[in-house]
Amino acid sequence: MLSEPGHYDYMPWRRRPRITWPNGARIAFWVAPNIEHYELDPPPNARRMPWTRPQPDVLGYSWRDYGNRVGFWRMAPDVMARHGVRGSVSLNVAVCDHYPEIIERCCELDWELFSHGTYNTRYFYGMNEDQQRAVIRENRETIKRASGQELDGWLTPAISNDETTQHLLAEEGIKYTLDMLHDDQPTPIKVRSGHLISIPYSLEINDVPLLIMRNTPPERFAAICKAQFDQLYEEGAESGTVMCMPLHPFLIGQPHRVSALDDVLRYVVGHDKVWLATGREIAAWYTEHHLAEAQSWIAAGTP
Amino acid sequence: MKGLPEDYLYYPARRRGMDHEIYPFRALPKAQPVTWPNGARIALCIAVHMGHFPMDMPLKPFIAPGGMERPYPSYWDYTLRDYGSRIGVYRLMNSLTVRGMPATALLSAILARRYPALMDDLAEARWEIACAGLDMGRLHHSGVPLDQERATVQEAAALVRARFGTSVRGWHSPAHSESSDTLRLVAEAGFSFTTGWANDDVPYVMVTDAGRLICMPLSQDLSDQRMLHQQHLPTEDFTKAILTAHQTLDREAEATGSGRILVVPITPWLMGVPHRIRAFNAMLDSMMARGSVWPATMGQIADHWRAQNPN
Repeated sequence: MLSEPGHYDYMPWRRRPRITWPNGARIAFWVAPNIEHYELDPPPNARRMPWTRPQPDVLGYSWRDYGNRVGFWRMAPDVMARHGVRGSVSLNVAVCDHYPEIIERCCELDWELFSHGTYNTRYFYGMNEDQQRAVIRENRETIKRASGQELDGWLTPAISNDETTQHLLAEEGIKYTLDMLHDDQPTPIKVRSGHLISIPYSLEINDVPLLIMRNTPPERFAAICKAQFDQLYEEGAESGTVMCMPLHPFLIGQPHRVSALDDVLRYVVGHDKVWLATGREIAAWYTEHHLAEAQSWIAAGTP
Repeated sequence: MKGLPEDYLYYPARRRGMDHEIYPFRALPKAQPVTWPNGARIALCIAVHMGHFPMDMPLKPFIAPGGMERPYPSYWDYTLRDYGSRIGVYRLMNSLTVRGMPATALLSAILARRYPALMDDLAEARWEIACAGLDMGRLHHSGVPLDQERATVQEAAALVRARFGTSVRGWHSPAHSESSDTLRLVAEAGFSFTTGWANDDVPYVMVTDAGRLICMPLSQDLSDQRMLHQQHLPTEDFTKAILTAHQTLDREAEATGSGRILVVPITPWLMGVPHRIRAFNAMLDSMMARGSVWPATMGQIADHWRAQNPN
């Protein structure tokens, strides 16, 4: 067993090389809707059971299915598009087969698709390297076929990555990973071959932990998101920060909550030094302009 | 019916006072009155839980708050805690430094070796370093063999003293967990105060076979780990609770003429995240605005208390 992921070096939140974003923006703000399919009858995994109730878990299944039938259509074309905010979809790639309507709508909205595995009920725990590689390759092909897009980003289903997953992502040409939550800026990721960076995802500003685990009412959810933005916007004057807002249509797309999203997005786009970006755009900008400098600073012992 | 064994209703430690010899009972009104510098009513100590959580930490006999709750390898849990040591603690340092306030770090000793740049910044910020064991995977409990526990205490003490010198004299057992030997081993390693028993607002003396320890207050009930992480309460419930505690202690100090101590236990991976740091700042400002506050390290408070309680 590993005592740490071993994929990143220590970088204190001081003295870092300055990050600048396009057009003098202080903060790169990106929204990551998790468009998922949880199977009605998935196989078991030794480390995690997909459902808490005996299968079929009708309540668990149908709650999540609401996201694809209703929530997505309410939050995406209506609320997000109204504010000019594109999504970077954390996609269970089988959605391309099950619900092509959703993929079509995402493409019309100029949203990025990245992989969140095939199904949210197929964990990476215990897969061998060939199996992981097969999933990554198949996901790349499916996204290309369904949308014409390249696959650049990755979030392992339920962050169930195994010890070698990040190495395989790099070897398969993935450019950015979201499996690590160690920072508010992109960081270099160490892999055995190839190149990979991490860009900030979030489990703090994320409707699953906030709304389900922490029992947060919608108004407080909005207040927390705004507080997160305010701090990172302020710090971004010194060096560019990233704020990710991960969403799940089955939660935020509920009629009693969607106005909270509207409220947060209105607040964010009301600031002038915000880069409304996608994951791919943040990764590309950082890799081109800041990665080498960060690596040199780390090599010099973070002076 | 057989019932329970006969000695189940035998109470060998039933007597006036405690059911152990570590310290005597003392009711709050019997605590010796104390005064703080400039006649301050409240000695305020910000105690920062700087734990390191190895991804392969044992899950028995219990998982320390913040430990790996998801299946191995839990990047989720590991990287969120590590965020505290990379970023959260710097936000806390900035907040306290601009207000001229010190803090006491309850430090996993392993961090002294892992993150030397962070140690330099803590030293520059003049935070007091107290040793909080080796890391959150090396808990102290009755299942740990004595020799192994002694080695853990000695190794942890050596690591922090190698970086911060022999002035390190405070101890906190990670996750507030101890064996029956821990206090003796801590005294043996030359520590003069410990913090983690949640039973008083006023310091008191613990007696071990290896010498005495001052036990400093450290609440778990009123901590961000319990309220924000375990109970999932909103940030404002925690900051409001701290301010209410301050008000109560302040009134007691006024009424009794004896200074009171407020220890605020906070955690970089909780209070140091962007959406909470402003609430933390506002809480600090509210406390300081009340006046008659002496912001101090735990060691400074222990010294002042000891000088007025020489026995």
